[in-house]
Amino acid sequence: MITPFRSLRRRSANRSVLLALTGAGLFLASLDAYVVVTALLPMLKSVNIAVNRPEQATPIITGFLLGYLAVMPIAGGLSDRFGRLRLFAACLLLFAFGSFLTATAPSLSQLVTGRVLQGAGGGALVPAVLALAADLYPAGDRSPVLGAVSALQEVGSVLGPLWGGLITASSFGWTWIFWINIPFAALLLWGLWPEIRAGGEPRREASLDWLGALLATAGLALLTLALYAANPEHSPVGEGFFWQAPLALVCFGLFVWHEHRTPHPLINVRRFRDSSFTGSALTNAIAGAGLMVALVYIPVLANAVFSMNASGAALLLFRLMLGIPIGALLGGLLAQRLRSYRVVAALGLVLAAAGFFMLSGWNEDSLKPHLLGLPFTVADGELFLTGLGLGIEIAPVSAALLDAVGEAERGAGASFLIIMRLVGMLVGFSLVAGFGLWEFHRVTAHLLPPLPGLNPNFATQFAIYAGKVKGAIFDEYHLIFRSTAIALFVGALLAAATLRPLPRPRWR
Amino acid sequence: MLAGAFRARTVLAGLAVMVGLAACGPQPPDATSLLNQSSQHMLNIKGFHFQMQISGFTGTGEPVQSAQGDAHPPDLHARVNLKEGAILLEVEVVFAADKVYLKSFTGGWQQLTDAQVGEFFDARTLFDPQTGLFAAMRDTTSATRGNREKVAGHDTYPVAGQVSAARMHQLLTLIRDQGTYRATYWIESPGSNLWRARLTGNLFDASQAATITFDFSNHDHPVSVTPPPLG
Repeated sequence: MITPFRSLRRRSANRSVLLALTGAGLFLASLDAYVVVTALLPMLKSVNIAVNRPEQATPIITGFLLGYLAVMPIAGGLSDRFGRLRLFAACLLLFAFGSFLTATAPSLSQLVTGRVLQGAGGGALVPAVLALAADLYPAGDRSPVLGAVSALQEVGSVLGPLWGGLITASSFGWTWIFWINIPFAALLLWGLWPEIRAGGEPRREASLDWLGALLATAGLALLTLALYAANPEHSPVGEGFFWQAPLALVCFGLFVWHEHRTPHPLINVRRFRDSSFTGSALTNAIAGAGLMVALVYIPVLANAVFSMNASGAALLLFRLMLGIPIGALLGGLLAQRLRSYRVVAALGLVLAAAGFFMLSGWNEDSLKPHLLGLPFTVADGELFLTGLGLGIEIAPVSAALLDAVGEAERGAGASFLIIMRLVGMLVGFSLVAGFGLWEFHRVTAHLLPPLPGLNPNFATQFAIYAGKVKGAIFDEYHLIFRSTAIALFVGALLAAATLRPLPRPRWR
Repeated sequence: MLAGAFRARTVLAGLAVMVGLAACGPQPPDATSLLNQSSQHMLNIKGFHFQMQISGFTGTGEPVQSAQGDAHPPDLHARVNLKEGAILLEVEVVFAADKVYLKSFTGGWQQLTDAQVGEFFDARTLFDPQTGLFAAMRDTTSATRGNREKVAGHDTYPVAGQVSAARMHQLLTLIRDQGTYRATYWIESPGSNLWRARLTGNLFDASQAATITFDFSNHDHPVSVTPPPLG
C-alpha cells in the first residue's frame, strides 16, 4: 500500500525531467507486456519448440503476467520504504536483466525466467512512477500528471504487439525486441543517477504485508499451474489440477482471513461486501480476459490461416488495439455526460461482446469484403468495434471501483484494479488456451495426413488435408471467441446490475 | 636447531610430493582405447535416452532440426522437430519390430513404407550395430584425448578425431560422402558411457558448415518399444 503522499521540494524543471525519465522507463517496460504475441513463432523456433505443441508456448505469455502480478502488491510499499527512485532503478535493472535472459535464451526455461523477471521489474515500475508523480506534484495539480503516466503505460502496451511484429519481421529478428531495452535502460539510469545518488528522497516507515502478498502470489501461481494444459491431447486443464486448484483456493482463503486480521492489509477485504466494488472488480477481470484472448488469438489466426508474417499479424491486431484508447476516452466522457457508470460500462462490454461474436464468424475469406465501398474492410470495422468496446468499459469500471474505496484507499484501489485485470488475463487465457487446444485435438484425433513417397495423388490429398486442418483451427477459434463473447456479455449484465451511479458533484 | 627444522621440512615436502603423485592415480586410457571401450559398451547397453540437434547450414534437403527419445537399437521412440519454413512442426516416430510408424501433426499412428522413410529422413541406420554412430567411433582416425570436462555433471574425456565422409554417409544418407569430418566424443572414464558426440563439417553442403550433436543419458536403463495402435 502506498502511504499518503508528501510533495518533495524540487525545482519544477527538475520535476519534469524526473517524470520524463521515469515515464520513459515505464513506457519501455509496458511495450514489452504483450510484445511477444506477434513474435511468438520465431521465438518458438529459437528455443526448439514446434508450433503444433503451442501449449509449451503459453508460459512465455503467462510468465510476464505472473511476474507482474507477484510484485504489484508489494511494490508500492517497497517504494515507500526505499524511495521511489531507488526502487525504480532496481526494477529497471531487473527488467533489463530479464530482457537479456530472454534475448539470449537457448531454452524455454531461460526464456520463461527472462519473461518472469521482465514482468516483475516492469510491474513494480508502475506504482513506483505513480507514487513519484504524486510526490512531485501537490494534491490539486496531481490528477493530470497521474493521468498522463497511466496513459503512457496504456499506450505502451497497445503499441507493444505492433512494435514486436515490426522488429520480428525486420532483418534484426525477434531478439532485438529485448536487446534494445538494455541500452535504453542504461541511458535512463545514467540520466537519473545524480538524483539517485543525491538520495534526497524521504524514507518512510511503510508496513509491508509480506504474508498477504506471498499468499496471494502462491494462490495465483497455483491456479495458473492448475489451469495450464501441458498435455491438451488428454486433458483441457493441468495434470495436477485436482490438487493444485483446491490448494490455490486454500491460499486465497488464508489470504482473506489474514487480510481481515492484519493492521495494514493489501486490500480491505471488507469492501467485497459492497456490490459495486465486487461487481467492478469482476467486470474488470472479465474485460482483461477478453483483451488477452484477442491479443493472442488474432495473431494466431493471422499466422495459421491467413498466412501473414509477424508484421501482418501486428497490423491486423493493431486495428483492434487502436479502438482501445479511443474507446477509453469516449467511455470517460460518456460516463460523465450520462452520469452513469453502469450504462456506459454495460454498453462497452455489449459492444465488445458483439465484436467478438462477429469475429467468431470469420472464415478464410473474411479479410476481403470492403465496407460499403470504403478503403477498409468489414473485418477492420469488426476489429475496431471490439477494441472500442473494450476501451469504453475501462473508465466507468475503474471509476466505480475507485469511488467505492474512497479517498483514503485510492492508491491501493488503483493497484487492485490493475491486479484484477491481470488476474482476468492470466486465468482467462490459461482456461481458454487449454480448452481450445483440447477441442482442436478432439476434432483432429482421426484426421490422418497423407504421406508422400510413391503416392501420385499426394499434392491433391495434401491440399484437402491442409483445408481440413485450417477448418479445425477455425472451429477452435470460433469456440474460443464465442465463449469470450458470452463471458463479456455476462460482464455487461454484472456491470449493469452492480455499478453505482456517479456521486453528485459537490458545488462549492 | 634451525638446521633440524629445515631437514624436517625437506622430509615433509618430499613426502607430500610422493603422496601427491600417488593420489594422481593411474594415467587415463589413450584416445583409441577410450573410443574402442566406449563403442563396445554403448553397443551392449539395454537402452538410453538421446537428444539430437542439427545446426548450421542444412539446406532444404535435411528436414530435421532436433529429435529426442529413448532407444534400444534397432527399436526407438522419438519426438522429432521438423523445419517448415519459419516454424517447426513436431512428429512422433516409432521404430519397432523392423517397422516404422509415424504420428504426424494430427490424427493417430500410421505405418510408413520403406520408400516413404527413404524419401524423408531414414534414421534407422543412426544407431545400427554395424554402420551406426557407436560402431563408427572405432573408425575415427588421428584421435587425440583432451583434458577432463564435465558433461551433464559427469567426468568425461573429450576425444577428437577425423572420420571419413563416406563412413558418415552410411550413418545418415543425407550426409555428403565427400572428404572428411571432425568428430568429438565425450567419454566417461572409468565407465565408458558416451555422454555427447559431435560431428562437424560441410555435412549437407560442399561449402557451408553444419553440426550434429547427440547428448546421451539414462545409459543402460531398459528401453522397450512396442508397435503403437494404428489409426
